Amino acid sequence: MAKKLMKGCEAVAEAAIQAGCRYFFGYPITPQNDIPEYMSARLPKVGGCFLQAESEIAAINMVYGASGAGARVMTSSSSPGISLKMEGISYLAGAELPCVIVNMMRGGPGLGSIQASQGDYFQATKGGGHGDYHMIVLAPSSVQEAIDLMQDAFDLADIYRTPVMMLADGIIGQMMEPVEFKETTKKRELPEKTWAATGWKEGCGRDRAVINSLYIENEELQEMNDRLQARYATIQAEETRCELYNTEGAEIILCAYGTIARICKSAIALAAKEGVKVGLVRPITIWPFPTDAMRNAICQDSVTSAITVEVNAGQMFEDVRLAVDGKKKVDFLGRPGSFVPTAEEILDKIKQIRRA
Amino acid sequence: MKHTTVLIGNFGSGKSELAINMALSSVKSGKKTVVVDIDLINPYFRISERKSLLEENGIKLIYPRYAMTGVEATSIPPEVYSVFIDDHETVIFDAGGDPTGAIALGQYRANFAELSRLDVFYIINGRRPLSSEVDQNIALLDKIQSSARLSITGLVNNTNLAHETGIFDLLFGYDLISHISEQTDIPIAMTMGTAPILDELSKYIENGTLDQRYIGKLYPIKRYMHRDWDTFTHLGI
Repeated sequence: MAKKLMKGCEAVAEAAIQAGCRYFFGYPITPQNDIPEYMSARLPKVGGCFLQAESEIAAINMVYGASGAGARVMTSSSSPGISLKMEGISYLAGAELPCVIVNMMRGGPGLGSIQASQGDYFQATKGGGHGDYHMIVLAPSSVQEAIDLMQDAFDLADIYRTPVMMLADGIIGQMMEPVEFKETTKKRELPEKTWAATGWKEGCGRDRAVINSLYIENEELQEMNDRLQARYATIQAEETRCELYNTEGAEIILCAYGTIARICKSAIALAAKEGVKVGLVRPITIWPFPTDAMRNAICQDSVTSAITVEVNAGQMFEDVRLAVDGKKKVDFLGRPGSFVPTAEEILDKIKQIRRA
Repeated sequence: MKHTTVLIGNFGSGKSELAINMALSSVKSGKKTVVVDIDLINPYFRISERKSLLEENGIKLIYPRYAMTGVEATSIPPEVYSVFIDDHETVIFDAGGDPTGAIALGQYRANFAELSRLDVFYIINGRRPLSSEVDQNIALLDKIQSSARLSITGLVNNTNLAHETGIFDLLFGYDLISHISEQTDIPIAMTMGTAPILDELSKYIENGTLDQRYIGKLYPIKRYMHRDWDTFTHLGI
């Protein structure tokens, strides 16, 4: 198919439709409005349903309903809107319902700003909603990668019966890049949704499907939690993804995800010109976090220290430090809010650390 | 004599890119030039982001109050009315994308009607989503035209993939726009692109494979608005 010039938001929406998503429920917020805008134009043409809900809370509960009925469904929002959805996300996790949630992060906390940020890493990977649950969290670093990960997002949700979040920042959402929609060559085997509430009648040969996250009896709640934890362990073992860039024999390792990782690559090229070998570990799944790959890259003998680069006050920084477990020095470059570091600033930090 | 051009079209079709190029070439030819940013619906990617470039070149810029401050609800200043009667020789209106973005133009209907030289150009980038088919474009063009309360006088082929643009993108746009022109009876005003791409297109024109009616004027542009990856990291959204 010919390439198109697309914004990340438009691309994510089209990729979702091509991945079979037919239901979208959402509420407007900048910088992700182009997703519902696109969905509202396209979904009715493919026999789907777009609905602008009265609030984010309503939207996420519509996702719960559609998913419970077995549909491929998604919602999207930006930071403050995702906070509103958090209760619903916890319920989706508890009821073991697959769905895709896109967060085009903006500056925070509170209403923050409409510029790009990475302030929602904790929220996405450490819960956000209540209870012991996780979402699979995918972090694209280009518009093309956002497209490519969308099919995976829906498949992973169905395979593991879990909400999957695509965590991108406003730059991915708003930046226009030439992109391609490739035919998916290897489709994953998807389990049948025997649990879905698709209509029951006497003598239909199966039990009633009950979509629920309420377990009054301690033993039953324990059973559900054990089931979730076992599933999370499988996800950690099977679905952890990251990109290793120039890491072998590097002196310094940068750790970054999303668009910031892309800026790090420019910094790595600048450092190479000055004869300094710098590598990058870029988590593609930020939950499950690529702990082993991160540790192996940073704990090589050649590495003197690692720098985590984020647009926040140091959130993934904590996971990097846990991975390294004190074996190497891990530094941080970043600011909370919306100041995106430039390649030159990252290079300056590299130089500063080498001097020290 | 005052020459006013209104640029309308879908999001990301290249309205602001064309507006900057037109404004710069106008001042270069010694004409007093004003650009009116009348986009009330998108907080990002407005021509006013290139305010200093325009002003350094002696181009006056009128833009919505609170534009570029991160505030999403902007308002049009009354000053816009002055461009219909003052001594600016070149006036360029750069509208917001889609039918909603074009609404802001509607209030000046009576003022536009009094102008003796008015072009209303509809820009098409056939490589943008929901813009690659004839029917999609005509449906959108009709809606934009009616919400702007203006009749489109010319179509502009700006089919491109930013830095990855090749001649086949522009030729795809040629084919698309020729059908749109046939069905709407709107002539094609220009085909725009970077100089190397237009040079390639000229070869097709010289060997007679293309119909001049569907090309219009060849309008070479430089890219000021589009942000590739590198400019994004320096300028933000």
